[in-house]
Amino acid sequence: MYSDLINQFRRIRERATPQVKRPFYIGLGVGFALAVLVALGLANTETFFAMPSSFDGKATSDVVWGLKPSNLLMVLPLGAFLVVLARSFVGLKAFGLFTPMLIALAFLQIGPIMGPVVLGSSVLAGMLMTPHLLKLRMTRVGFLGVLIASIVLVLVALQMILDTELQVDAFPVIVCALVVERWWRQWEKDGAKEAAMQAFNTFMISLVIQFVMVSHIALMLIEWSPLLMPAFTAVAIAILGRYRGLRLTEIKRFAPIWLERRRAARELDEQLPDGIDEDRRVGAPDTRKSQTDDEMPEPSLGLPDHIPIDALERGPPHERDLAGIAPGSDTIQPNSGSQFAARFGASSKPPTNKTWVIGSAEDV
Amino acid sequence: MFEALTKFWRSDDVKPVQHGFEDLPLVPIEEILGINMRNALIAKYNPRIAIERARDKVAAKVALEAQGIACTGTVAVIDDHQKLNAFKPTRDMPDSWAIKPARGSQGDGILLAVRREGDVWYKGSGTPLTETDVMHHIQKVVDGGFSGDTASEDAALIEPLIIADPSLADLVPEGLPDLRVICLHDEPLMAMLRLPTNASDGKANLHQRAIGAGVDLVTGRITRALVRGESITHHPDTGTKLIGYQVPGWDRVLELASKCGPAIGLGYSGSDIVLDKNDGPLIIEVNAHPGIEIQNICQLGLKAQMAAVGEDFK
Repeated sequence: MYSDLINQFRRIRERATPQVKRPFYIGLGVGFALAVLVALGLANTETFFAMPSSFDGKATSDVVWGLKPSNLLMVLPLGAFLVVLARSFVGLKAFGLFTPMLIALAFLQIGPIMGPVVLGSSVLAGMLMTPHLLKLRMTRVGFLGVLIASIVLVLVALQMILDTELQVDAFPVIVCALVVERWWRQWEKDGAKEAAMQAFNTFMISLVIQFVMVSHIALMLIEWSPLLMPAFTAVAIAILGRYRGLRLTEIKRFAPIWLERRRAARELDEQLPDGIDEDRRVGAPDTRKSQTDDEMPEPSLGLPDHIPIDALERGPPHERDLAGIAPGSDTIQPNSGSQFAARFGASSKPPTNKTWVIGSAEDV
Repeated sequence: MFEALTKFWRSDDVKPVQHGFEDLPLVPIEEILGINMRNALIAKYNPRIAIERARDKVAAKVALEAQGIACTGTVAVIDDHQKLNAFKPTRDMPDSWAIKPARGSQGDGILLAVRREGDVWYKGSGTPLTETDVMHHIQKVVDGGFSGDTASEDAALIEPLIIADPSLADLVPEGLPDLRVICLHDEPLMAMLRLPTNASDGKANLHQRAIGAGVDLVTGRITRALVRGESITHHPDTGTKLIGYQVPGWDRVLELASKCGPAIGLGYSGSDIVLDKNDGPLIIEVNAHPGIEIQNICQLGLKAQMAAVGEDFK
């Protein structure tokens, strides 16, 4: 039953040009390596749900993954490396350049489950506050300041409710505030779907980075020598950073170009008679001539079938012919003057909160 | 009888005779320009200072007009509070105008007025704009409210409103269609026409469901049109036929576009051109980081186009 699917994949593989194949294979390799590392990281996780107060004074990352707090700095280059992979090989869009890496670092210090909970609740609180903050018409710095204060408020509340030893002070509050702001800008510009997509990407990348950071291989490298990890990732980023090919998401983006060209080629093939594989006449003038074409046309006898009438003697052309419209069609007449006329509610968009745009006289 | 068995190694011996008329082996050229390669091109050809100049609309305009390139007109440039205080819209502004932040991006902070009645202007949507509204908007622009994350101050550029060429204006229900021409040095590589729709709210932005129409570089005719990846032949709102539409003054458009990059100092540039009713093609903006979506719209690879004009990709 899978043979059809396999055949289809084989056909796609045969047709693909090297420009498509290469990024696809690279993406496949990167994805596979990441999956292995994430699996290793997941296997390395001792506990998911334990609260920090039950760790009797030891750091969360040490208890859960065996990563000493003094080694937290060492995994940062690994995070940067993964961000480079996600951006220039896969082409995932996330809020900010190294935001996912910083969030992953915070996850390491807060815990595998509590990290996302803290992040989610603080971003949610910021999201809920933003529309009301925007009404106050502050400057951008003021807006971000209030956002930071409110996020800290949520963090402290979480610490009080859940666990007093929850290490929320490691949480990148400013990065979080910037994420909330960017979310709103994206929402305004491209709509909720695009913004949600980017937020989801950011979250997934930080989760992947978190688990890769604590995989056996990474921890082994760190234990071996503290110099090894930064040096290794620096060299790897320097090599991979030179990649200039297509990103994995760009294959999908530009697939219509290849597909449509192939369809056009197939249509051309179908016009050729059987037994002929390629059209060698492309570009060359058609020199084939049938015998009948060379013959002289027979001289006509009698009255001509078309008697020329003077233009002045003709009746006026029908209105429809002048307008060039088929009868009965209800297309809108082009009208270049209409761009200056007033239009009310033409866009039929619901009134959204536009931060920086003057919507009405009351806004000013 | 063993011929079939020995064919495997014998076939290597028999080499076809080369007589010079064979087709060259077809090397599939990598035709699509990805964002990684685009960034590399920008790093190679667009110097930092030229990018800064392109980003600042006022500086770009100065550089373009110094080379005698036709730009959109200028009513006033307000770049500090002293000039702002001296400015009086009812006295200094024409009947229809556009206020743009000099360092704005993606159309943020652009305010358009299409007509004036007494001391009140009206936006395209019919919303009235009093003198205080206009002054407040200019102040917000000057304070850097639309100029991205880093800018603290900005200049407000006030221009007379462009009235689109009638044949182009007939294609769209509202808004100003504009042309985007991608150039490498002074070679135009690819061109598209961006047509606003009702769904795009009069904006010629492809993300907001405006139509992207691929324009043939040689003839200046629209070859294909797309809305959000869907191929169309007629404008969905006006019903006018797009395929085959001849852009008026096409040679002039190409000539303008090819001069823009060098005038600003950009090797790889995307010029935004409008067709004015009276003045013909005018430059509105030159982009130092032109997008690559144009490839999907023209069904052509930018990389192949560049290879054709002699760019060497290593």
